This record gives sequence, structure tokens and C-alpha cells, in this order.
Amino acid sequence: MGRFLLGRLIAVIPVLVLVTAGVFLLIHLTPGDPIDAMMAESVDPGVKAELSRQLGLDQPIHVQYLRWMGRLLHGDLGRSIRNGQPVVEDVGRRIRPSLELALLAMLIALLVAFPLGMLSAARRNTPVDGTGTAFALIGICMPNFLIALLLIFLFGVTLRWLPVSGYTDPLEDPVNGLRSLALPAITLGLALGAVITRTLRSSLLEALSEDYVRTARAKGVSESVILSRHALKNGLIPVITVLGLQLGGLIGGAVITEYVFALPGVGRLVVDAVFARDYPLVQGVVLLIAVGFIVTNLAVDLVYGWLDPRIRYR
Amino acid sequence: MDVGESPGLDLNARGASRRSFLRWCAAASGALTPAVARGLRGAPEALAQVAPKRGGTLRVGFYIEAATMDPHLSGSKIDRQVYHNLYDPLLVLDVKLGLQPGLAESWTQPDGKTLVFKLQRGVKFHDGTDFNAEVAKFNFNRMRTDPKSVRKGETANIESVDVVDSHTIRLNLRRPDASLLAALTDRAGMMVSPKVVQERGPDLERNARGAGTGPFEFVEWVKDDHILLKRNDNYWNKQTGPYLDQIRYRPIPDDTVKLASLQSGEIDVMDYVQPRDVAAVKADKKVVVVDVPSLAQFAYVMNHTKPPFNNKALRQAVISALDIDQIVKGVWLGVGVPSNGPIPPSSWAYDSTIPTEKRDLVKVKAKLAEGGQPSGFTFSVTTNNLPILVQEAEVMQAQLAEAGITMKIKLVDAAALLSDGNNKNHEMISYQWSGRPDPDGNTFQFFKTGLPLNWSGISNPKIDALLDKSREVSDRNERKKIFSDLTRLLHEEASMAFIVHPIEPKAFSPRVQGYEPIPDGMMRFKSVWLK
Repeated sequence: MGRFLLGRLIAVIPVLVLVTAGVFLLIHLTPGDPIDAMMAESVDPGVKAELSRQLGLDQPIHVQYLRWMGRLLHGDLGRSIRNGQPVVEDVGRRIRPSLELALLAMLIALLVAFPLGMLSAARRNTPVDGTGTAFALIGICMPNFLIALLLIFLFGVTLRWLPVSGYTDPLEDPVNGLRSLALPAITLGLALGAVITRTLRSSLLEALSEDYVRTARAKGVSESVILSRHALKNGLIPVITVLGLQLGGLIGGAVITEYVFALPGVGRLVVDAVFARDYPLVQGVVLLIAVGFIVTNLAVDLVYGWLDPRIRYR
Repeated sequence: MDVGESPGLDLNARGASRRSFLRWCAAASGALTPAVARGLRGAPEALAQVAPKRGGTLRVGFYIEAATMDPHLSGSKIDRQVYHNLYDPLLVLDVKLGLQPGLAESWTQPDGKTLVFKLQRGVKFHDGTDFNAEVAKFNFNRMRTDPKSVRKGETANIESVDVVDSHTIRLNLRRPDASLLAALTDRAGMMVSPKVVQERGPDLERNARGAGTGPFEFVEWVKDDHILLKRNDNYWNKQTGPYLDQIRYRPIPDDTVKLASLQSGEIDVMDYVQPRDVAAVKADKKVVVVDVPSLAQFAYVMNHTKPPFNNKALRQAVISALDIDQIVKGVWLGVGVPSNGPIPPSSWAYDSTIPTEKRDLVKVKAKLAEGGQPSGFTFSVTTNNLPILVQEAEVMQAQLAEAGITMKIKLVDAAALLSDGNNKNHEMISYQWSGRPDPDGNTFQFFKTGLPLNWSGISNPKIDALLDKSREVSDRNERKKIFSDLTRLLHEEASMAFIVHPIEPKAFSPRVQGYEPIPDGMMRFKSVWLK
């Protein structure tokens, strides 16, 4: 197990190098220039050249990348071009709302998906199954922003139960914090829940057709025990895979949802950074997103072993 | 260039006086029921009973996050919205764009190259520092020399600053510059506490505590969440406000959500209503909409330095193929005025006798033949990937196609647009300028030979001479004539395709009172109060 973890962590290094180098290249090749974007009104060529030199932007791309890497090895992500603040601080401040949103959305998704997925599988081809499948299809097909706007008009403008936009930290003010995250979490949670419902239904159906289920039925085990104890545990593996991928994505910020609900999360940070061509900030966030993905996937791998003792790590 | 921002109209609220309130009502009457509006106008004595009330937090929704709290390093319009409540400029604008005393109590111009300002006495920065002539000199020098200063262009004509006495400064100019005074009503005239500049250094960009002299003080800025200001109880000018306890600015990037936030009572003011939403918002009784004509100028710049638009006849063909009235009606839904040149109708220099270019397909044919492309030609336009601009480009594309001209659309974001423009890496490019109170700010830098924002690369000795003369002459009537001649010449030369001067409707909760619209697009909240 220890060796497995160590091996996985070492394998992470080339992934991170590739991801950061790729993004570095892409953002630098994108037309546009951080100084043009920042100094919009004053484009005195002398001033531009001087700033460019100060920020090291006059160097070839590979030199800039190596310098960035060099600083990274010392734990320094650099400073934002736009506002001069350390990237670590900017990202650190934004990760909290994104994490809270991700966990809350995940919770809602699980609360919706498990009962629905299990019912659909148990009552296959009945109206219950039809309802569950219809929900899942709507959730998967409807774009996030549309769900978001519908929720805003219903709960924010018409009923006025929940705030339309903005963020309060639930750790500081639990009631208002949860209220401020409710609509974005439901938006994300419904879409995510739909995917999980579909996955869970089909993996349960597969498990329910296995021989050991037939044996259990023959021995007179009740359907609910078969479903919750035998089929569910075996049907969970694909669900965990989906969960891991989705959670990794959510940690990187749910860009559209954060944008619509004006949440100060990582997703909005990276979009604004790209628009400003704020290279160090883009790099910092991408690094964070990559690490988020890697960590959740590692956790998923560990959960597999716990769910299915046949899976062993060497 | 304030690119990518919403066009500019703003209201200012220096007067909770009866007169200014009535002016405000007149502007807002489009949103009030006719009976209410009549009632307000017909019974001014009733208004006198509505005394401004102190207190409350005004919650303002903006489309984007501010960039910096340092007015001398700022290049974005949204920053100015905050600055006009936090800092005082030397001069301020009135609703007709006239100049009024700000931190300068009076000013004289002994000759074309000298400006003398008498400064207000008894003014203190929020950190307790006295405002005086030395401070003003420090600020001008900072704008002129700080490596990151974005004010170098506006202050380029200031050769030196002399302290005459403790509250008098003299600006010695390199050459006469009639546009300078108007520039001092905005960031180039805003005074920052030297103590804060020296002690805080670059952190001033994020934390402006103590830095200004304005009616409101900086409290905090939580990035992407809010900027909070509180009332300056020691404000030097006690006339009409400040009344509000606090102002809380929030960036809400999505227009639909921002509007929903206003309708649900989460914010009290929104900076800009999209043309597509104007009709619906005006019908909503929970919201008051104020239309303010802006100083903005939206146009398409053709690159005169390379084919196809180094050919004047082809530029004329494109301009004559466009139906500008149709664009303003169909795309802008009438929330704007068809443009007859760079100067907007809200400016004193606007010449209403100059017609907007009219569509003329016979002329297009002739000009195509004259330009050596009788069967039409193909070019590409670079424009911002914003819904209304995409729609505008598509309409232009269809209009040009009817005239046998093929226009390809290249969509980019604001940063790429700026780069393409600055490097003249375009055939035609859209430009959205928020406008400046003096017509100079809408002309000089865009048409003078060799200047960086002259994206068309136009170089015409007659235009250059008129632009220079417009700065040397200080008489308004004479300047107005120069700008009229300039505008006609720009049409003759087919310099660019002028499209629209957008109107920038702002929406308020009915609780918001005492707001005065000033066409520079800035929202000044000193005289605003909450019912």
C-alpha cells in the first residue's frame, strides 16, 4: 500500500510538468497581451516595453517557463500581473467558496441519486423507473446556465426565498452562507445527480442479473437486502469513478455556475485571468486544478480497494 | 481604452436641492407613470417636504470587478465609478458638462500655456493629511513620472508644476491645451494622499484606506465579492450630503442575474441595462429606469495602411453600403443615437447639422468601380465576442452582402482586440470608446498621426492641423466650429464607419433618491439618499 502510494505520487510529477507546460504554451500563444489588457488607455510604447522587461515577458517562452518552474520548486507561484498580489494568496482565497460549493453540490447529488437510482433499478420498466430516467435525462441535457436562471427566477425573484447572487461564507455565518450557496449547489447537484442516477441504475441492473443474486433470491433473502447489501456494493465501482472525476472538476471551479451566481470561486478566477492574459495566475490555477484531479483520482483508487477486496495495490 | 465595458451613461447626484431633484424626475419620468410625473412637476412645494434622510447602505451592482484603487494607475471605467465617491478631482462636471469647482476653488488661465488653480482650504484626506499645493504638485508629478502611471497621456502637456503659495499651484504647459481642464474632472485631477502613496506603495492598488478626500471612505475590498465604502463625516463640502452610511459595490457579471438581483431587492442600483432588457425593465413598477445619453462612441475602424482599405473608394463603398439607422433600430433597439461622427449629442461640440451617413447602393457600385473592385471584394472585421456586437456584425455582414461586399467576422476577446488594434493587425476592427467630457478625448488620440490609439493609421495633415488648433483655442464657439470642420473632413476621408452613441440606461430601486445624471457615465452618490 505504501509503495503503491509512493509510486502514484512519483507518477504525478510528469503529469504536472506536461499539464503546466501545455497550458503555458497555449496561453502564451493566444492572441492578446497582458500589458495591452492592463494598460488599455495608455499604450505608450516606451512604457509598455519597460513593463514587459520588468515582468520578464520579453524573454522567449521556454525561458519564461523555466523561470516559472524554478520559482515553483521554491514554493513560489509568482505574482499576478494584473494586481501584483502573490498568486498563492489569490488562489487560496478563492478555493474555499469552490470547495464548499463542490461538497454541497455533491451532497445534493448523492441525496437525489441514490434513492432514485436504486428505485429505478429495483422497479425496472415501471412508472417509477420512467420518472427516474426522465429526471436523469433532463438533468443531463439541460445546460447549467438554464437550470440556474430558472432557479433564480423561481426562488429568487418570484418567491424571494433565496438570494439571487453573491456569497457568504457558511463557516462564518452558517444560515446565510448555506442560503447563498443553495441555488448554485442545487444547479450543480441536479446535473451531477442525474449522471450518478444513470450510472447507478445501470450498474445495479447489471449486478442484479449476476448469479450470486439469483442464489441469494433462491435462499429466500429479501429483495431490499439483496439490493442494499449485495448489489449496491458491487454496483458502486462505476459510480465512484464518476464521482471522482466530477469532484475533481468541481474543485477546479464550476465556471458557469460561479459566473452566473457571482460566486468568488476558482472558476471565475481562472476565466478572469485568461481574459486579462494574467499568465502567472492562469498557471497557478491550472496547477491547482491538476492537483485537485490527481488527488481525487488517487482517493477513488483507494476506495476501490475498500469496496472490492479483490482489487489489490502493488 | 475602456474597451469591453458597457457604454456610458451615468447620473450624478450632487443636488438633492429641489431643482436638481426635479431635473432628475424629468429624466426619470419615462419610468414613472405620467400622473405621478405630472404630480411631481405640478406641485414642487410638496417636494420640499421630502427632506433627504441620512443612513442606509446603498447596494450597487456592477458588471465587472474593479481593477485597482489607485486612480493614477487605472485603465478601466469601472474603477472610475468607485473613485468618484472616494476621491475628489480638482474640477467637477455639471449635467451640461460645464466645469465647476472641485478641490480647486477657482482657476485662471493668464495665457495659453499657464493654468493657475486656487485650492480649497481646510480639506483633509481620510488619513488626516492636509490637502494643499505641495500635495497637488506631488500628485501631478506622480502621474507624469511613475513607471506604471496610466495618466501620462493626459498629463503629457504639463511641463512643470509650481507651488505659488500654500494653496495655489501653477501648471506650466508645453503647448496650449484646451482639453486639459476637462481631463482634471476625472482620474487625472484626482488627488491621493502622499502619505498613503509613500507608506503603502503598490498595496494602494488593493487598499485605499485613508487615500482620498471624497465624500466616502474606503473600508474594504474583498476581491470578486464587494467593495465597501463608508460616509466621510468630516467631508469638506457639507452641501447636499453625503447621506448614505455605506456604499457596497458588488460585481455581478451576468446581466440577467444582475437584473434579477435588482428586481428581487438584493441591490438598489445597477450600472447598465442591456438594450434587450430595457423595454421589460421600464414596464416593471418595482424598478426606476433613467436613460442618460452617454459620451460614448462605437465605430468600426478601417486600416488605412494596408489593402483593401488603403483605398479610399473602397472605404466609401463600405460606409455607403451600411444602413446605420437600421442597425441602431434593429440591434440597439433604439437605445442609442445614430452617429454622425466621433462627438456625441450630449457634448457641447455636437453639430446636429452634420448628417449620419445614408445607405446608397448606387454610390456603392460607383465607388467599387472607382476602387478597382467593380464586382465587390472580401475583407474581415475583428470584433469583441459580446452578444450585441456579434449581432451588429451579422447585420453589417448582411447589408454588405446586398451590396456585393463579403465581410468575414473574426471574434476575439477584449485583450486580443486591444492587441490587434494597437499593432494594426486588422483590416477593420470594432472600437467602443466610453467617451470623455471634452470632445478632444473622443478625437485627438484616434485621428492624430502616429498616436497609439490611432488604429486606422490615418495620417492627414489637414486633420492634424485641426486637432492641434482645437487644443490651442480656448473659446468654446471657436472650438465647436473646429470640431465641426474636423467631423466633415473625417466623413470626406471615409476615416471610419461611425455607428452609434449608445444610451446607457441605469436602473434603481424606487428607494433611491436624489440622483443627478451626468453624461460622463459616472455614478456619484454624495447627494443620494434612501427613502
